[in-house]
Amino acid sequence: MKLEWSVVWEYRWLLAEGVLVTIGLTIVTMAIAVPGGIILALMRLSKSRFLSGFSLCFVELFRNIPLILVVYWAFYVMPIFVGIELSAFATGITALALNVSAYNAETFRAGINSIRQGQVQAGLALGMSRFQVLREIVLPQAFRRIMPILASTWVSLFKDTSLVSVIAVGDLAHNALMVRSQTFRVLEMLTAMALIYWALGYPQAKLADWIRKKFEVKE
Amino acid sequence: MGAPFSLRVNFVELDFSPIFESWRFLANGLLVTIQLAILCCIASLAFGILGGIGRVYGGWVLKGIITFYVDTMRSIPVLVVIVWIYFALPLVSGYSLPPFWSAFLAITIHVAAYVIEITRAGIESIRPGQVRAAQALGMSHWQILREVVLPQALIRVLPSIGSIVSVTIKDIAIASVIAVPEYMKQSETLAAQSFHPIEVFTFAMFVYFCILFPTTRLIDRLYRRLAHLGQS
Repeated sequence: MKLEWSVVWEYRWLLAEGVLVTIGLTIVTMAIAVPGGIILALMRLSKSRFLSGFSLCFVELFRNIPLILVVYWAFYVMPIFVGIELSAFATGITALALNVSAYNAETFRAGINSIRQGQVQAGLALGMSRFQVLREIVLPQAFRRIMPILASTWVSLFKDTSLVSVIAVGDLAHNALMVRSQTFRVLEMLTAMALIYWALGYPQAKLADWIRKKFEVKE
Repeated sequence: MGAPFSLRVNFVELDFSPIFESWRFLANGLLVTIQLAILCCIASLAFGILGGIGRVYGGWVLKGIITFYVDTMRSIPVLVVIVWIYFALPLVSGYSLPPFWSAFLAITIHVAAYVIEITRAGIESIRPGQVRAAQALGMSHWQILREVVLPQALIRVLPSIGSIVSVTIKDIAIASVIAVPEYMKQSETLAAQSFHPIEVFTFAMFVYFCILFPTTRLIDRLYRRLAHLGQS
């Protein structure tokens, strides 16, 4: 078998574009899913039965469905139910954001719940408002517990962006698979794709480990 | 509105009859998903637990190799692993695996890495005093591992194992890209052939939820019943 690695160099711009799209997908999704997760977590913790029920259903639904199915669903079903035609990129973002918001909601809820109730009561007794208690007592402490989990969610999200390639978003996986089918340089392109993901993902995984060590809470 | 199993939502006529007409086709897919899930879970737990033991007790070479493997799998998408094993591995090895076994191999390789990390965390959560106590009692390394450390460690990580099972079932849906005839692939095919993607994909969401939600709950309940055995 003759290998021609030059094909990777030949299509370097297409691959670079894919890398940019992959990174863009990760950043935009997280930018939506962090506020989304906070809102869902606060809804879940609110006294309103409707809000907490809605949040519970949303979170459990999206945590218990394969992401690739959410991607297909967002592509085929959502435009008809919601009545909005989105670009492939925006559809991919929607699917990823639905999924990651659900995971983030659990992360934030666990973080907020990890702060002892006595601290909240003490804050209230001092005449602070509920919002003040949340902002000045609960969230700063919860942050230390939330950050490491958020970091590992980020790493998972970075990998999961590859799934939107099935609806032809021009991310790294999609572009590499496209070049593979055009040039028939299967081994070269697939190995290049894996190596690029590795080169981008490995430092992120290590960074997530470092964050976990740095913020570790000792009881 | 005449057809059975039809429904109007947002001016769209929904017709669920293709799902009922092709139930056998979908049921076969579900069967493949379940078979793959069982095989992948058993294999990745076995390799993962062995790897986790190696990660904690191995020499520096073994530790280094296992750490590198785990971090590599943490940084490469499972889609890429599946596609590489199916399309590229045959070119390297000369053997070509059918889609089912390619998916089995790829998902096992991927999930085992997570099991290694979980096992390691479980083993490291056992207080060193227990190991010293066992040594003082004259137990061998192997005895300590088998009778003191592992039984407690594995019960402690049971909730994480539950999420591993859930991740495995979800990862199997990705095997649809190499045309493994599992539930996701069958749904895609049916959606395309029947021209009813809305109904088919929405029904698929329902099916996956009905599998995944009880599975994770069941493992959580098992943990609550066994948790006391892992405490010390």
